[in-house]
Amino acid sequence: MKPKIAVYVFPGTNSEDETKRALDDAGLEAQLVPSSETGAAARGFDGYVLPGGFAYEDRIRAGAVAAHDRAMDVVIEAAERGKPVLGLCNGAQMLLEAGLVPGTGPMRRPTAAFAPNAHGGRFRSVHVHVKLAVTPSRSSLLANLPEGAVISAWAAHAEGRLAASLDELARIERGGHLAFVYCNADGEVRADAIPNGSALGAAGLLNVEGNVLAIMPHPERDAWAFMHRESATRARTAADALKTAGGFALFASFARAFVA
Amino acid sequence: MLEVDAGSQIALSREERERVVRTLGREPTAVEWFAFDAQWSEHCSYKSSRSFLRRLPTTGKHVVLGPGEDSGIVRLGAFKGETYAIVVAHESHNHPSQVVPFEGAATGIGGIVRDVLCMGARLIGLADPLRFGTSTYSHYVAQGVVDGIAAYGNAIGIPNLCGDVFFDPRFDDNVLVNVVALGIVKENEIIHSKAPSGSVGWDIVLVGKATDRSGFGGASFSSLQLDAADAEANKGAVQVPDAFLKSVLMRASYRVFDVLRSEKITAGFKDLGAGGVMGCTAELVASGGFGAEIALDKVHVTDSDLPAAVIAVGETQERLCWVVPPQFTPKLLRIYNEEFNLPGVARGAQATPIGKVIAERRYVATYRGERVMDLDIGFLTGGIKYERPYEVPTPPRAHAPARDADLSAVLPRVLGHRDVCSRAPIFERYDAVVRGTTVIPRGYADAGMIAPVPDSVLGVALGLGGNPRYGALDPERAAVQAVLEACRNVAAVGATPVALTDCLNFGDADDALQFGEFVAAVDGLAAAATALDVPFISGNVSLYNTSANGKAVPASPIVSCIGTVADISKTATHALKSAGSALYLIGARSNATGGSVAAAVSGFSESSALPVDDALVARAQIGLVLDAYARDLISGAHDISDGGLATALCEMAFAVPDRKLGVCVSASSTRAGDVGAFGAWFGELGGFVVEVAPAQRAAFEALARERNVWFAHLGEVTGEPALVLGEARFDARALYEAWDAPLRGFYDPPEDDR
Repeated sequence: MKPKIAVYVFPGTNSEDETKRALDDAGLEAQLVPSSETGAAARGFDGYVLPGGFAYEDRIRAGAVAAHDRAMDVVIEAAERGKPVLGLCNGAQMLLEAGLVPGTGPMRRPTAAFAPNAHGGRFRSVHVHVKLAVTPSRSSLLANLPEGAVISAWAAHAEGRLAASLDELARIERGGHLAFVYCNADGEVRADAIPNGSALGAAGLLNVEGNVLAIMPHPERDAWAFMHRESATRARTAADALKTAGGFALFASFARAFVA
Repeated sequence: MLEVDAGSQIALSREERERVVRTLGREPTAVEWFAFDAQWSEHCSYKSSRSFLRRLPTTGKHVVLGPGEDSGIVRLGAFKGETYAIVVAHESHNHPSQVVPFEGAATGIGGIVRDVLCMGARLIGLADPLRFGTSTYSHYVAQGVVDGIAAYGNAIGIPNLCGDVFFDPRFDDNVLVNVVALGIVKENEIIHSKAPSGSVGWDIVLVGKATDRSGFGGASFSSLQLDAADAEANKGAVQVPDAFLKSVLMRASYRVFDVLRSEKITAGFKDLGAGGVMGCTAELVASGGFGAEIALDKVHVTDSDLPAAVIAVGETQERLCWVVPPQFTPKLLRIYNEEFNLPGVARGAQATPIGKVIAERRYVATYRGERVMDLDIGFLTGGIKYERPYEVPTPPRAHAPARDADLSAVLPRVLGHRDVCSRAPIFERYDAVVRGTTVIPRGYADAGMIAPVPDSVLGVALGLGGNPRYGALDPERAAVQAVLEACRNVAAVGATPVALTDCLNFGDADDALQFGEFVAAVDGLAAAATALDVPFISGNVSLYNTSANGKAVPASPIVSCIGTVADISKTATHALKSAGSALYLIGARSNATGGSVAAAVSGFSESSALPVDDALVARAQIGLVLDAYARDLISGAHDISDGGLATALCEMAFAVPDRKLGVCVSASSTRAGDVGAFGAWFGELGGFVVEVAPAQRAAFEALARERNVWFAHLGEVTGEPALVLGEARFDARALYEAWDAPLRGFYDPPEDDR
């Protein structure tokens, strides 16, 4: 039986379809679940994914209102029981706002935020690459990726700049929370590859236990070969165009978390 | 209850008022006055333009629905036994955007999304043609417009596929904000904007935001000239956008589509735009051959003091209207009000029945026990028609002489010109890839492309055309060029042009010279579209883009082209692909450089003749490019437009990551006959540059000869970051900087405001 994954859809979520498609193609059985569903059925999934968008129109701060939604109680409970949880863009913002990631604060208080981008906090939609910055075995979600894996994705956010106190940034960097950093196409970690001024060049963060991953850019929007027009992997046939590629590697690795 | 004074607030002329009174045989009520004011506005009735729009070709083998409803529909193709079609609408939101740029641009998207949604379609793409001024105020307008498009489009999760931006001081008083929206629908599941046959007694259900005071008088406002003194007053006529509510409304409506389908119910669905509740419900029932009885008391409002006229014709955003059988109404209300919890998303938002379809062809509205409207519906919605006097312009037709060109002096200035330089600081604000269907994101090629049917390789491309420098000189040739460029843009990525839309932005209908520009442009559009055999399936006219001193914007026929492709793997961007490939020019160059960027930066008179872009020649070129794509003979193509051939070659090199490739092109290859170097490198006559792998050269040349298309072998793609154009040699990275830098300061305060 395929592992069942809940893709929580909040009012204002907008990336649920491509997220479900990527999970399904990875061999999982993804189901769109309205955030109003928080009962026993909602609690029975094997893993949870919080997709991108503008939940509750990003009132207060991106992810802030959704982080206090009942649905987030379901996600927190699942995370505490060791179930894999993945937050993409707005979903990543929710995980930080809920204090689940990096999860180093007392009483699950948020200790870091994805703050407004450098240069005026304006939304940017640009193609990016991110590099795995922890040992793959650090997280069940990442264990199937090679060391230093480079994944392509699209950044599409106005609030993706990691911000925290210097102490907390040091904890994030040394404590194995810094899952992904921005890099160029060749995998070089360079300041000019960071689209938003993020501290540590952070693109994705892990919780303490390694079962909750918050990642700002969207690998699901760069997960099939037809999206790779400029690269050597450009599809030449109809069959090749529909094959998975690029950012799909993250979903393939996520799916392996349920095999172990 | 607050009163509204019809006499001082409506834009109807004296003759129009007299006609209303004469036909009714009585003085209309205040609400009726406002209803006529909206329905008979230029915005709703096309009273000056209708007779000319008939000249446009609107039928063709791919057309599913031509102009007439909220959107046009064109066939995409079949997949797994279903036939898919693309729904497209194209509109302007010029006047509101000049007054309140952020809200104006955002509601422009909001409105057009509803036009597509109400055909039963799912939204799949957006595009924005923009024309900004250059004054200090215009700089803020431009920032606000881009912010508004980004805020709304990104939030509702629709990818922005393409756009174009021009800057010209003649737009200082009248920004042009056009917007195109695409949707997808299965051909047998289209919902029409009319009450279905046999729908007498059915419910009319209003869905969305609670009606408020915003947007009162919007239809007539957009048909008036803008006067700075009235700017404050006009702000009240602009609607307030709510992208969050729209995001939920769209998803709830998708759910309704699914339920209607499973229960095999035919319903009517229409967007509320100009004329508000009255305009929408009247047109819904009138187009089905019925009448309506509306209880204005039942309309959900923010404030119990709203005058009846505001409830009837106010243009509050984020509203739609259904006509459904009464037994379905409870289900409809449950989906919007409970499952998608509209009241929890925005204060007062909901779905609520407000009236019934009646057999008698009358429009009756009641309010607090009073009959505030009781009109013959044909008279109300039939509009009026004017035969305006016009004077067709006499554009310059004398060609510039053959000129030499100093590439090293001219090329960097052409690349840095405001109409040529990189638009990245603007288009990066728009989400290019939400929905995960984007094949070619905006900025990567001449057209954007998506694969909107999951698991299928069917593709849809969207390209734009329209150049104000040309419009100011020669409206007819500018219109021809707009059609040809939009089609070439789509063909350049490998898609077949199948349908066009237009938004015609012009000056005053009652100024014979300005209206003459409109007439000349319609003739140009008709001639080009007919020659290409690509019909117009939707469009919009925006007149009165005139400032208080009577100056109109440059004639701006803006065209979008929808292209389809059966296999997205047979498409490409214009980026150079591999060193050693050959570059070919398709289409001979010309000395005609009127309106060109190079003429402007060289200080030559821009007002010599525009190049004659022959539509039949363009059709043959497009046929060659598409055939070459289908046979895998070319690895990329770029259309020649602003900045000419030299710019096109540079852009192909700029699109290569890190500028790792260059070109080496001989000067003689660009010339034919008596064409001077200036016209050859910088002339803006349409054409293509294509890249051909060495092994395919013979086959490509044979195909071009067979199709009788003019071509020339330009030179090669090289493995070094250098652009060698005849005798001139450029460092690709230095030229890239000249092209990339100018708009980086788009968000800085204007210079004289720092």
